[in-house]
Amino acid sequence: MTNPVLIFVFAGLLPAVGVVYAIYKGKAPQNYIFLAISLALYYGALTNFRYLYLFSPRFNYILAPIIYFYGFNLSGLSKFIRNRLAQIVLLLVIYVTVVFFIFLAMPGDYTTKFLQDPKIRQNPEVYERMKQLFGVDDPWYVKYYKHMKNFFNLELGISFSEYPKRVEEIIAERLPRTLFLFLASSVLSFLLGFDLGKRIAWKRGGLTDKMATFVGIVFWTIFTPFYMLILIWLFAVTLRLFPLSGFITPTKWFDAPFSAQAVFIRLLLTELFMLVMWIIGIVVAGRLKTIRAKRTAIWGFVIGGAIIAFVYWAANGMGTYALDIVHHLALPVIALVTLHFAGDMLVMRDTMLEVIKEDYITTARAKGLPDKVIRDKHAARTALLPLMTSFVIGLASTVSGGVITETMFSWKGMGLTLLEATTAQDTPLAIGCLVFTGVLVLLAHLVADILYAFLDPRIRY
Amino acid sequence: MIVPVIKVENLKMYYKTKMGYVQAVDGISFELEAGESLGIVGESGCGKTSVSMTLLRTLPENAHFMGGHVWFNDNGKMVDLTQLPEDEMRHYRWRGISMVFQAAMNSLNPVYKVGDQIVEAILNHYPDTPIDQAKAKVAKLFELVTLDPKRMEQYPHQYSGGMKQRAVIALSLACDPKVIIADEPTTALDVIVQDKILRELKKIQKELNMAMIYISHDIAVIAEVSDKIAVMYAGKFVEEADSTTIFKRPMHPYTFLLMNAFPSHVGPKKKLFTIPGEPPNLLNPPKGCRFAPRCPWADNRCREQDPEYVEVEKGHYLACWHPLTEEVRQNELRK
Repeated sequence: MTNPVLIFVFAGLLPAVGVVYAIYKGKAPQNYIFLAISLALYYGALTNFRYLYLFSPRFNYILAPIIYFYGFNLSGLSKFIRNRLAQIVLLLVIYVTVVFFIFLAMPGDYTTKFLQDPKIRQNPEVYERMKQLFGVDDPWYVKYYKHMKNFFNLELGISFSEYPKRVEEIIAERLPRTLFLFLASSVLSFLLGFDLGKRIAWKRGGLTDKMATFVGIVFWTIFTPFYMLILIWLFAVTLRLFPLSGFITPTKWFDAPFSAQAVFIRLLLTELFMLVMWIIGIVVAGRLKTIRAKRTAIWGFVIGGAIIAFVYWAANGMGTYALDIVHHLALPVIALVTLHFAGDMLVMRDTMLEVIKEDYITTARAKGLPDKVIRDKHAARTALLPLMTSFVIGLASTVSGGVITETMFSWKGMGLTLLEATTAQDTPLAIGCLVFTGVLVLLAHLVADILYAFLDPRIRY
Repeated sequence: MIVPVIKVENLKMYYKTKMGYVQAVDGISFELEAGESLGIVGESGCGKTSVSMTLLRTLPENAHFMGGHVWFNDNGKMVDLTQLPEDEMRHYRWRGISMVFQAAMNSLNPVYKVGDQIVEAILNHYPDTPIDQAKAKVAKLFELVTLDPKRMEQYPHQYSGGMKQRAVIALSLACDPKVIIADEPTTALDVIVQDKILRELKKIQKELNMAMIYISHDIAVIAEVSDKIAVMYAGKFVEEADSTTIFKRPMHPYTFLLMNAFPSHVGPKKKLFTIPGEPPNLLNPPKGCRFAPRCPWADNRCREQDPEYVEVEKGHYLACWHPLTEEVRQNELRK
């Protein structure tokens, strides 16, 4: 990476264009020191200059743009996003550090796993070589530096339990599976909880309210593994609607012309595409006036997206294979949605009951608005904010929840991999899993924070 | 004969609680013509706000309508608002009767722009209005209440208290209502802003020839803006007359004591009266006249029989067995 052209483009041209553009827009940089630091970081990253990066030159590519924007006097949402990104990078460093110390403190590590192997012990030369390679005798700070350096270089080592595979490869394969499950279940349960919560709060005291609250509390407090066992027993064993567990049915994929992973990545992209269509629908609906037009817009985009997705899957010949994966996905998604919607529903119900008492709801009623408009546009819209907060807080529990769900359904995602790696004392893989689940949650927090900023005009950053 | 814009007959609304019915509005009658204003004055908890909510039918769930009529003049046709189904009632809200709310601070939805909330009211009642036209109208209303029309694009939290109050007034004018109920429109504001807003309200009311109902516990506020004053005590009107009569020649003991219970800024020093006791519990109001337990003039009949609310002079309504005469009033003041 010492190509002078690249250095010129990244460290010279791009920032210069940025500064010129900013001045042209009337937003001159306030503090040129930050720009200089940013440039230096770019330079260090490109030339691998030893004193211009901390752990890894690659890490500079994340740091430099954030520091670059500290040179400008931003305001509002852009300032918030910049600060939040800086916080997240800091949190990431802290998180990786904490993970390192946890594994340092844990009894038994790969030294016991490998070096106690009689075959290695009998051969002192190999034994010493292995010790040197693993850095067993290094002091903790050297270990820490290596740990950080390797992490930010994205070199996580080789897994012991799945030997020849590199940890990055394993994570690249498993992360999408967790992401799919996590996205599908949280979006669906959020929508379900939001909608049900607002309905039962509006018709409070009725039979539906009592029933839904009861069911919600049951799902909220039920012992998760037990509930999942019941689901498996009911739907997979008794009714035989869904497969017991796993990711695919091997017999069906016997002579498949493509890998399951390729199909799955396309499935994940389809899910993201549907999500984007839905969000576009909401944004378009925000510009429309009547409730009917809004509803038509949202459903139009969602159904349009579904049709495009359907055509895509019908045309590319992977349809039947994708269906097999979806078939395996159904039960975990059902389990997660039923477990998570309850909390959202109860929170929504409670905040709705508070909001209904507010004066602006009386105003809306006195204005002569129809009941549904008051409920959806005035009450639910404001009650959405605390729900978002509880949703963000709940993100953290997704990590622990993921381990249980994925284990129960043998869904090979990050959670199950983490569990297996930990029990097998496969330290590199366990560290990789922990760190990347953490990254996932941090990013989800960022998205939720930005959403929150859009939803609540009272928030000023 | 002048047809009133709104005519309320023997209106009754009780709140149902575990202890029984709270008789918050118990047989209230009045009528208002276009351009006229009525002030309803009374202690806290006497049911003033409940009256306004009953007129608009924006009552909480435990409120029970117990009888009476609210006749609303819909272009010459008298409609009984109490008998309308909810769906039709919707069309009379804001277009017929609108309201300036007691708690203007929280009367606007925090997540929508103020201008949009007013536009929403217009579009709701006149769905065919183009949005630009509705916005132009809101801009005009903002100018009427001396707010900068640029503020339409701001959210309620960017407004000061007085500005919010003005915005709420602009909101109440959005659909050219025939009757506006101003429920403690200025309680949350300091005296200077209060005065300004009251003047504006009065000016707008005369300009647009609307009927107006002011509700307040503050007699000074009521006296400043209303043509007629009704005194409310424990869910009932005890006396109603034009403002001067109420101040100069009150006939109900409660009105008399109330009028002389606060010091005047002008004129000679005068005796201040206190009303002994406390307002009755509306769950179980006293038999007979509800003011009897606190009334210095009460006798056995007062405690047994409830006096009728009748017109004693032209435009002067009263519910009392022993109306105060000029002599009694002078004697009391001289004591």
